[in-house]
Amino acid sequence: MPKVFFATDLHGSEMCWRKFLNAGRFYDAEILICGGDMTGKAIVPIVQENGHYTVTVGGDTQQVEAAQVPDVEAQIRRKGYYPLQMSVERLHELDRDPVKRAETFQQVMLDGVDRWMGMAAEKLRGSGIRVFVCPGNDDEMEVDDVIRRSDFVELGEGRLVEIGDFTMISTGWSNHTPWNTHREETEEQLGERIEAMAKQVPDVSKAIFNLHCPPYKSGLDEAPAIDADMKLLHGGRALRPVGSTAVRDAIERHQPLISLHGHIHESKGAVKIGKTLSINPGSSYEEGMLMGAIVQLDPKKGVKSYQLVNG
Amino acid sequence: MADTTMGGTGAPARPGLFLRNATGLVKSWSTFDAFIYSFWSINLITLGLYGMSFVYTVPDGQLLAGILLFGVLVTFIVITYAMLVSVMPRTGGDYAWQSRVLGGGLGFVLSITGWWFTLFLWAPIYANILVVQFFSPLAYTLGWSGVATFFTSSTGIFVSCLIVLAFASIVVTLGMETYARIQKACFWIGIVGLAVVCALLLFASPQDFQNAFNREATSLFGAPANAYQGTIDAASKTFTGSSFGTFSFGPVLLLLPWLAFYLLWPNWGATLYGEVRGAKEFRKPFWSMFWGLWVTVAMVAVVILLIVKTMGWNFYQSANAAYWNNLYAASGAVAPPVPIWPYPVMFAGWLVDNHPFQALLIIVMGLWFFGWAGTLFLSSTRVIFAAAFDRVLPAWAANISAKRRVPYGALILMIVPSLVISAIYAWKPSFATIFIDATAILALTFFATVVAAIILPWRRKDLYDASPIANYKVAGVPLISVVGVIAGLFLLFMLYQWSFNADNLYGTTLQKTPDSVKYFVATYVVAIVIYVVARVVRRRQGIDLSRIHHEIPVE
Repeated sequence: MPKVFFATDLHGSEMCWRKFLNAGRFYDAEILICGGDMTGKAIVPIVQENGHYTVTVGGDTQQVEAAQVPDVEAQIRRKGYYPLQMSVERLHELDRDPVKRAETFQQVMLDGVDRWMGMAAEKLRGSGIRVFVCPGNDDEMEVDDVIRRSDFVELGEGRLVEIGDFTMISTGWSNHTPWNTHREETEEQLGERIEAMAKQVPDVSKAIFNLHCPPYKSGLDEAPAIDADMKLLHGGRALRPVGSTAVRDAIERHQPLISLHGHIHESKGAVKIGKTLSINPGSSYEEGMLMGAIVQLDPKKGVKSYQLVNG
Repeated sequence: MADTTMGGTGAPARPGLFLRNATGLVKSWSTFDAFIYSFWSINLITLGLYGMSFVYTVPDGQLLAGILLFGVLVTFIVITYAMLVSVMPRTGGDYAWQSRVLGGGLGFVLSITGWWFTLFLWAPIYANILVVQFFSPLAYTLGWSGVATFFTSSTGIFVSCLIVLAFASIVVTLGMETYARIQKACFWIGIVGLAVVCALLLFASPQDFQNAFNREATSLFGAPANAYQGTIDAASKTFTGSSFGTFSFGPVLLLLPWLAFYLLWPNWGATLYGEVRGAKEFRKPFWSMFWGLWVTVAMVAVVILLIVKTMGWNFYQSANAAYWNNLYAASGAVAPPVPIWPYPVMFAGWLVDNHPFQALLIIVMGLWFFGWAGTLFLSSTRVIFAAAFDRVLPAWAANISAKRRVPYGALILMIVPSLVISAIYAWKPSFATIFIDATAILALTFFATVVAAIILPWRRKDLYDASPIANYKVAGVPLISVVGVIAGLFLLFMLYQWSFNADNLYGTTLQKTPDSVKYFVATYVVAIVIYVVARVVRRRQGIDLSRIHHEIPVE
């Protein structure tokens, strides 16, 4: 009876990744699934000048000595940002040049993912715990290559994976968002992508649909409404469903045992869509809190139990 | 590849961080939008005038000083909650904070009694306010005395409860986006209405008011001549009179528990901040709640001064005393010439000798009710959701209908008990003290949250150290703990007065209100039973509720 621990949208938080790797032993789970959006959203420059380092964390600018830099870097990684030491000249260059900025971003993100793969192998090799990762819409395509190179962590994207008696299909692609991120496509294309995998599943009653984007109007997809200028409306109290109709159609049509989602951090929940238990554990990566779902699978009962946790 | 962008937290010439294009990166919400929600929560007209109509019970209490003192003390609660929002911004508010810091069981019992069970009591309170501030004065003004009388009957009160429950349910069904628009419209029209009320009081003399009062008392209620003096005389049987100029610190303190009825709630929306990106920034939620509080304090000060200037403080307090003492059959009480609740808006409208205008003013000012009452169940549904996701409540409690996204599970859990409680309120007046306790129970819930805030830096060092407030300290002590202690002492003082005031000033002294004690003990017992049953049932299902908030080791 495999026990699955699912977490998602870690967004570069190294603390959450460390907790994720420890979740197997902590919750007695044999399967760890990271649902996507592993990479961070910001680089925090640590600027070397005049014998000290200047850094802005949480809006507060501070000067630190060289010996304090590792602590500052750890603090920044914990929040999901990438610390990057640089000169004043390099800072201004990145500020001016969007291409160089994008290249730098990609480099630090891929380095970060590579380091995470190494941590996973070091910590869990020989433990009997399997780790699956399926990059999400915020993760650049090159992230997949880094995961493929890992000899321990398994890439989920676009594959059918056997987990005991169960079959998991995965994709981190989403419907279009206002941010035009790396893995977005039309509902029709997303539907075809899911269908290509779903039709190969031998027994959908034992299928796990690991789809980053939540189903439309499921309660797992409610995000604060924004205007064209990306400004939150009505004090952030107005929520709108932003999930995928293609994901919903796939769930309604195939009725897998369980569907795992993320993407919308605020929309933590577990709902039934027909026979399918759909879960979005939410994300609080900025707090260093790993929100996750423990699912106890049973070959006869299907889902024996599930629990959302804040680890 | 998506574009990358430069995000500046530092000076433009020196970026503090670089942001790339990623989902969820939005511009912050407008403080004004959030302010409106906080402003409605401590509704000056709907809650404020109703709550302040009881301060006649402390005749030597200088109300203006009391309000200012309350504003200062509640500011500490606002700071405490804003800091908690910035440390743990996720949905659930009191429930999430108490559970994560104090433990799942304690958090569930304390918050669920406050945000779920006690809110049943607020439905009839809302209904009563709707009667005394809307239906009754409007009906009398339009000459529909039969309608006005109906709403004072048991059936009428219950019908008003049904209207409130229906309205709150419709708002939940419509969703916050629609209601936020309604609220904004109500806000601006209500502000115009208030400006008219203030202008009428400002430009009228005391003699103008006495003449207008006497005229309308006779015209609308058939009162004998000089009803103004008649009101003071009626009150004098049970009320010693009140002077606005009197100041004594002790009575000012005794006013605080009364003022809590409307001024304690600027943090009401804290259960929702978890849905707001940008809430992690301390300043945003703080300023939203702060301005909601202090704009109301300023406005209420203006209204009180205008009442003193034009109506006369002793008259206004006498009108309140005469109404409530007669309603509660206080020893020696006699009926006042104007037999309805002394609604300052209606009194101000009487300065214009035109009934359609008076009715219009009551309708416009009624928007203060309708812009506010819709949120009755909003926070409760969030807490019920959080408890359901934690598997303490059944999963169906968090169910949402597919088509209209109505949280029908949580609504059922709110509406059905509210109907029962409303019926008790309407037909069993002897249970009235239970409803007076509604403020105290919520204050107790806030107190538990404040305790969680005080110990947070030590109990959840991981969360605290990672938060934006980790550097805020006073003499080396975390600011959240220092502020929390002050807020806690303030709440403790009020809880003590509600529970043990020797004169039963607030109608809530434990020794004098055994029915209330039984009711609230029962609610805590029910909450404990729900949690214990959930622990047992879930354990059989292989779920250990105790580990929901256990932190996974990092190393």
